[in-house]
Amino acid sequence: MSDADSPHDPGVPNDEIPDDEFEPVDVFPESELDLRSGADDCYKCSTCDTNCPVAEVDDEFPGPKFQGPEQWRLKRKDDADIDPSIMDCSNCMRCDDACPSDVPLSQMHNEARAEYVEEGMSKLSVEYWRNRILANYRKGAWLGSKFPRLTNTLANNGPLRKLGEKLFGLTAEREFPAFATQTFREWWAERGGAQVQSEDKRVAYFHGCYANYNTPEVAKAMVRTFEHFGYEIVVPEQGCSGTPMFANGMLDDARRDAETNISSFSELIDEGYDVICSCTSCSMALRQEYPELFTIEGTADVAAHTYEALEYLRIHEDLRGALGDAEIDGDGEDLAYHAPCHARNQGLDRQAVELFRDLDGVGVEDVGDSCSGISGTYGWKAEKYEKSMAIGEEMFEEMEEAEGQTGMTECPTCAMQMEHGSGYEIRHPLEVLEAALVEG
Amino acid sequence: MADTPSVLVIGGGSTGCGIARDLAMRGVDVTLVEQGNLTHGTTGRMHGLLHSGGRYAVADQASARECIQETHVLEDIASHCVEETGGLFVKRPEDSEAYFERKLRGCAECDIPTEVLSGREAREREPYLAEDVDRAIAVPDGAVDPFRLCVANAASAQNHGARIETHTEVTDLLVEAGEVVGAAVRHGSGPGKRTHETAGTTERIEADHVINATGAWAGRIGKMAGVDVAVRPSKGVMTVMNVRQVDTVINRCKPKGNADIVVPHETTCILGTTDEEVADPEDYPEEQWEVDLMIEELSKLLPVLQEARTIRSYWGVRPLYEPPDSGTADSEDITRDFFLLDHADRDGLPGLTTIVGGKFTTYRMMAEDISDHVCDRLGVSATCRTAEVPLPGSRDERVLDDAMGEFGLTSPVARRSKQRLGDRASDVLDTEGPNPVICSCEGVTRAELQDAIEGSGTDLNAVRIRTRASMGNCQGGFCAHAMAGELHPEYDAEQATAALDELYQERWKGQRHALWGEQLSQAMLSYALHATTMNRDGGALDPTGTGDADHAVDFAAFDGGASDGD
Repeated sequence: MSDADSPHDPGVPNDEIPDDEFEPVDVFPESELDLRSGADDCYKCSTCDTNCPVAEVDDEFPGPKFQGPEQWRLKRKDDADIDPSIMDCSNCMRCDDACPSDVPLSQMHNEARAEYVEEGMSKLSVEYWRNRILANYRKGAWLGSKFPRLTNTLANNGPLRKLGEKLFGLTAEREFPAFATQTFREWWAERGGAQVQSEDKRVAYFHGCYANYNTPEVAKAMVRTFEHFGYEIVVPEQGCSGTPMFANGMLDDARRDAETNISSFSELIDEGYDVICSCTSCSMALRQEYPELFTIEGTADVAAHTYEALEYLRIHEDLRGALGDAEIDGDGEDLAYHAPCHARNQGLDRQAVELFRDLDGVGVEDVGDSCSGISGTYGWKAEKYEKSMAIGEEMFEEMEEAEGQTGMTECPTCAMQMEHGSGYEIRHPLEVLEAALVEG
Repeated sequence: MADTPSVLVIGGGSTGCGIARDLAMRGVDVTLVEQGNLTHGTTGRMHGLLHSGGRYAVADQASARECIQETHVLEDIASHCVEETGGLFVKRPEDSEAYFERKLRGCAECDIPTEVLSGREAREREPYLAEDVDRAIAVPDGAVDPFRLCVANAASAQNHGARIETHTEVTDLLVEAGEVVGAAVRHGSGPGKRTHETAGTTERIEADHVINATGAWAGRIGKMAGVDVAVRPSKGVMTVMNVRQVDTVINRCKPKGNADIVVPHETTCILGTTDEEVADPEDYPEEQWEVDLMIEELSKLLPVLQEARTIRSYWGVRPLYEPPDSGTADSEDITRDFFLLDHADRDGLPGLTTIVGGKFTTYRMMAEDISDHVCDRLGVSATCRTAEVPLPGSRDERVLDDAMGEFGLTSPVARRSKQRLGDRASDVLDTEGPNPVICSCEGVTRAELQDAIEGSGTDLNAVRIRTRASMGNCQGGFCAHAMAGELHPEYDAEQATAALDELYQERWKGQRHALWGEQLSQAMLSYALHATTMNRDGGALDPTGTGDADHAVDFAAFDGGASDGD
């Protein structure tokens, strides 16, 4: 670093940072960010606390205002003791959305959690390794998908699950999601990659882990729908988006995968591609968390060119027109739609409802603005399971009262929770879109 | 004369409290009177710098040597009041290279350890430093909490039998047969702990010797006995930032000037200061340009200050003094040395000694000097022990590292509580009942507030300086009323309300100099909350109709509400 280097993200030139944008610097050791100045924006109104789903069901949880601006403001350079309650934050990020004053709450939480895991959690504890494995779901999924049938049988063997809870703190209440017998990437290779070539309509697909290993039908729906609209698709080398790693305070793991992703996708952006995600937490990571937490070259570019799949089509195509002419087979199927918290933060919480309103053959009912409660790996932890279900209760009730017996959401873990709490089959909006436009 | 010689100390600042402790430890019967709460005058209005002496190493080497010596003493005896932050003298390209070298040489001559850093090395320590800062000298500056230090001195004095009377104003010095024999005082709410809504009383306090340690007010006290003490009060502004932009004291490396220091203080940074002579230590203008100057000038060292949130500004008056006929024109040039004025020698008036001038960092040394002098006059042979015996709270340094538990508190609150309370932490925090956080900005719990109330009665400003409650970003918006609530049931509603009103006024006094950007939003939110939940914009609730009819709520004007149904 030369004397002239500024302390902020080298990817962003000095004069392009607006004056009022909060900008952290490296003060604390090993590139931990100094977020104390983020507390300047907080005037303590407590709107974040009243919107926090964990605080609502857990009186012991001090809430996002404490975890964020208050805890940071009380910090001195040499202090290392982050309160353990940071591990009870589910990283739903609703506080970001609730804050009227742009306090970088989830960024503060992510940094504090990473610091707590680094300084306060024993690297020999079961909790650490349980969290580490959950956070690195992709590694396990890679292995499991080599022998999908065997893994699926073992993972949902009752006594084995009980043992998993006892030894490892994984709740025995949930059924493991099944691995697909063919991953999305295997399918993509088998079909010979892109079937549409285009000079000006090009997207790079960030499928994430779940659509690759568990629900390739969602990824396939994305491919078929985008090709239907004439897009050339590439599926580049990629790792995990980092979402489960942020939520478990494993920022080093997340940085490693972010480096792969940013290098992969920023090259494609230079060639005219935009980045498309089918999971709203993945798009959230690329858009918000990467720029907040990492200073990898190309981060700002990737953040600016990343979109959720439906969002992108709504911007660039006449989706309503196309759907107005389409219809879905079946007799007026009703879908109980839940907007994931991370979709909400990207302003996407109404898109599925608005989009399918005019589609014949399907009805969409919004089941309200509560959090599903699973928050990725959170609801899989034995000690968090009850809390997770208590948070989800409101959504379960709304689903129960909804007309349909099928659910819909963009987020794979929200889908698990919806299925777990209601017994409904859960679909992804892309699958509905594919059914209406491509198959229909 | 009683067997035990008695001394009346006037002034509850650092010097007065230091003297009270010193004399009490020597077995003298000490009474201290202070017109406000402890630190009410200049002590409570300093920027919290514990001088390594670096600032004086060129112009005033005698002071510099005293500073480094006393800094080491305070690190030992007042560890819970001191934060060893280290300091930097930073040089911008336009600052003189020659002065930088002189500063370095001066420090060496005064035995102040230094380390020269390149601009880059300085920025590695403090990343917010301006990119064009080209060199820096690291010195062992520190930060000190003047409130805690004063209160600890007073508490130690009390433990050694001293009587401490705050909110007690001296109305006259008693002169009998050409000798000062005591003072007439008025207690704001009777002697003892301050209690709002309690009638004041007057008292004659007789003493073998009276010490005038009233700093900028020393001329006023002197006049009561007909002696002339020409204090030249000089005001300086200090601006408080919401968070710590730096964890090291940042000085600008150039000869005297305005706005050249940033001190990390507890959860905040304090920018200072100016130096302008004023006529009256209690009545001088507080002007916005002074605050603007702090931010503008210090942004040259820390550009981030330009956009950062300030939460308040305050002014203090230095008790500068120079012997008659020195004739210094500019207050910045008046010496920071202290003067002991023995009025017997000087004015032919025995029984009275005045101490003026000096610096906070060397308060203990000044107290030792004057105590030596007075003991000499009184024939007391005991020697000073204040440099060796730690203050209450600093007797056991292991507390912070000790795994003594978190008292059921979240880690940052437990840590801050221990930093404030020192070795008193377990006594104060180990309580029976629930111990909620009352001031969430500063992490102050009920137990700590109750401990402070025990020490200072209904005076919530005294509670504030002991605990830091209401000193954070909301400036009491979210906790002032809860602090007042803590006075109940020992004190009644009227007393709590009066105490709350006074705290509000004090918080508002400084906050009104920071009303733009986020702090304006904060003030508006606090206003709206207090107006809508406590009717604080509407005057007292007055069901009996005996109060001010214009402001009382007219409940009769409310109807029964709209009838229900369509």
